[in-house]
Amino acid sequence: MSVATARTPRVPRLTGWLGAAISTDHKRMGLTLGVCSLFFFLLGGVFALLMRAQLAQSNMHLVSDNSFNELFSMHGSTMIYLFVTPMAIALALYLVPLQIGALRLSAPRLCLAGLWTWLCGGLVMQQGWFASGGAGRDGWSSIAPLSNGTNTPGVGQDLWVIGVMLAAAGMILMAGCVVATVARRRAPGMSLLRMPVFTWTALVSVLMVVASFPMLVLVMILLYIDRHGGNVFTGFTGAIDYQDLFWFFGHPVVYVMFFPYLGAAAEAVAVSAHKRWFGYTAFVASIMTFAALSMAVWSHHMYVTGGVTNQYFAFTSTALLVPAGIEYFDMIGTLIGGSIVLRTSMLFALTFFLQFLIGGLTGIFVASPVLDYHVYGTYFVVAHFHYTLFAGSIFGFFAGVYHWFPKITGALLRERLGKLQLLVMVIGTNMTFFPMFFLGNDGMPRRVSRYPAHPGWGTLNEIETIGAGIIALGVLLFLINVFVSLRRRVPAGDDPWLGHTLEWATTSPPPPLNFEAPLPPIRSYAPLLDLREDDPARAGAT
Amino acid sequence: MTPGLVSTRSEYDHLFSIYVPIAIGVFALIVVVVLVTVLIFRRRPPERAARWHEHNPIEGTYAVLLGCTAAFLLYLTFTAEHRVDTVANQEPAAVVVDVLASKWEWTFTYPAYHFSVRSGTVGRQPLVVPAGEAVRFNLGSLDVIHSFWIPALRYKHDAIPGSTQVITLTFARGVFPGQCAEFCGLRHADMIFTAHAVSPSAFTAWARSRGTAPTP
Repeated sequence: MSVATARTPRVPRLTGWLGAAISTDHKRMGLTLGVCSLFFFLLGGVFALLMRAQLAQSNMHLVSDNSFNELFSMHGSTMIYLFVTPMAIALALYLVPLQIGALRLSAPRLCLAGLWTWLCGGLVMQQGWFASGGAGRDGWSSIAPLSNGTNTPGVGQDLWVIGVMLAAAGMILMAGCVVATVARRRAPGMSLLRMPVFTWTALVSVLMVVASFPMLVLVMILLYIDRHGGNVFTGFTGAIDYQDLFWFFGHPVVYVMFFPYLGAAAEAVAVSAHKRWFGYTAFVASIMTFAALSMAVWSHHMYVTGGVTNQYFAFTSTALLVPAGIEYFDMIGTLIGGSIVLRTSMLFALTFFLQFLIGGLTGIFVASPVLDYHVYGTYFVVAHFHYTLFAGSIFGFFAGVYHWFPKITGALLRERLGKLQLLVMVIGTNMTFFPMFFLGNDGMPRRVSRYPAHPGWGTLNEIETIGAGIIALGVLLFLINVFVSLRRRVPAGDDPWLGHTLEWATTSPPPPLNFEAPLPPIRSYAPLLDLREDDPARAGAT
Repeated sequence: MTPGLVSTRSEYDHLFSIYVPIAIGVFALIVVVVLVTVLIFRRRPPERAARWHEHNPIEGTYAVLLGCTAAFLLYLTFTAEHRVDTVANQEPAAVVVDVLASKWEWTFTYPAYHFSVRSGTVGRQPLVVPAGEAVRFNLGSLDVIHSFWIPALRYKHDAIPGSTQVITLTFARGVFPGQCAEFCGLRHADMIFTAHAVSPSAFTAWARSRGTAPTP
């Protein structure tokens, strides 16, 4: 089979900044989106450090109340709309076509338009910092009627609304292209149930983007009208409607920010255990169930409003433990009987699973209305979702980076620096977020710029602030690692880890049309492992 | 405390005492299994890696077990929620307090005694309630969504403009800090109050000294 060489491609090789800006190669777009997201990650991290500095001690006055409200709002908005979600899409854009043996993305120009729309949204949102009255300051959810024109006047909040709308619209376009690619461009033999684990997680994610993000665009349009005299979200029903509509987007996005990183960690675990992912069929069924259920849990953010049927949402939210439990079972099943190599990507992946577990188990806790009546709106919830998003997804992201960096750049990242980064980040993460469980249960609300000198709170907050500094050090180590590894390159070769999936069957980095050599036969979700198992002599080859 | 009254705190503590040990147990189990597995299967030659990758009976049994766990937790939660949300509101209230939240203060009105106290950016007058009796709160808001939260009672409820929501709480004797738990703008952090739960006779004496005596 010579799918790749049969056509003579006339793809101009765009390099440098111009290539990053206008190339319709899915790898360039994925990389541009990823690099821009990473920039926003650093920006959002700076906001977090400033917040932690203000909260280091009780009753500090390092930043004003208004600045603090801007900081926590823009921290959440930047991380969710401009880093974790788009980074998930970036991974999907780069890797899905490679993993399914596609030569290119479907509707690539639409995708490029989406990329630019998203980036404009991000820049518009950040311009709020220069507006009088300040940037968006109603939190990442900006619930009504706090976010209306009377309660939050000013251009900064308008820019936030427009920025979120553009970012969401852009992400819908990019996600749609990934869906179309999976639907139409799979290589011969690549049936749906032979798609790699990562591709499945990415597919479920982009489907959820397509299904739920239009609601965010709609809510932002309505909020904009509301802010300019439209009176859309008025009275009790208006307040409840806003939350229902927003969380209809706002909970699915939580899983968009989780699945691809789960997939990345799963690939790293399987490859580093030299064993295919255990329980593939059940896994695919479980993430589909996961996605379906997660479209029906949104009002667990509204237990204390008195405007929703709590039992229903407690039922769907608690039921999530079934598919989540299956994922852990599959991870352990993959490890048992394997030949485990504890390289950096594997260590990040295992840490992802174990730390995310704390976020997941406390998620079952907050799914119970009676427990949530107390911890809703407190640091307990902040701890919970940072364990899922930071201690979870971001560690899964780094597992993916250490796993695929050699494929993307052709150079290996430094292992020792990577393991040092992991150690520093594990210490920093748990110092920052674990004390928050105690603070929340003890009565510290989130989104306060100051807190009274309650016994013990000062110490716990100080530990958190030091932890945040240690996380920053870990991120710095990562940037140093990327810099050093690109300057003094250690060539990776095509397949440094004995990969299982098709991206390892092409060169590093892959050529413009992905595969120059014929694709290996595709008989399962781990075609390269099939080849090695057929021919044991190749098993140890690198 | 009068027996039979719903205590939000003990409902929370009861659920907490079941949920948290299960969570800690599951976490410890998975950490131990992962560590032991990694130690056992480290550094074997790749060709010795097992090839099995599916076992539907075990996976199915495990899924059923997970489903049973979810059902058990939901049963506990629904029972507790029924008491907190339904049973409590059926109790005859000893005192009614109208709570009006606004940026950034609480106004507590005692309709039977025709007076109000305020706490927040305006000052710090305490909310006084009788201990050991059901106290009914009618929550309302003037401007944005606020949330009426007394951490020691392990309970909060939103005050949403355009609605009056009714909750019933029972206090043990003591002094309890309370505050707004829904971000409400610039001085959200200052929207705090203190609840003093005193004996019913002390409460009546206090209320009479503040307002008009209740109509007999």
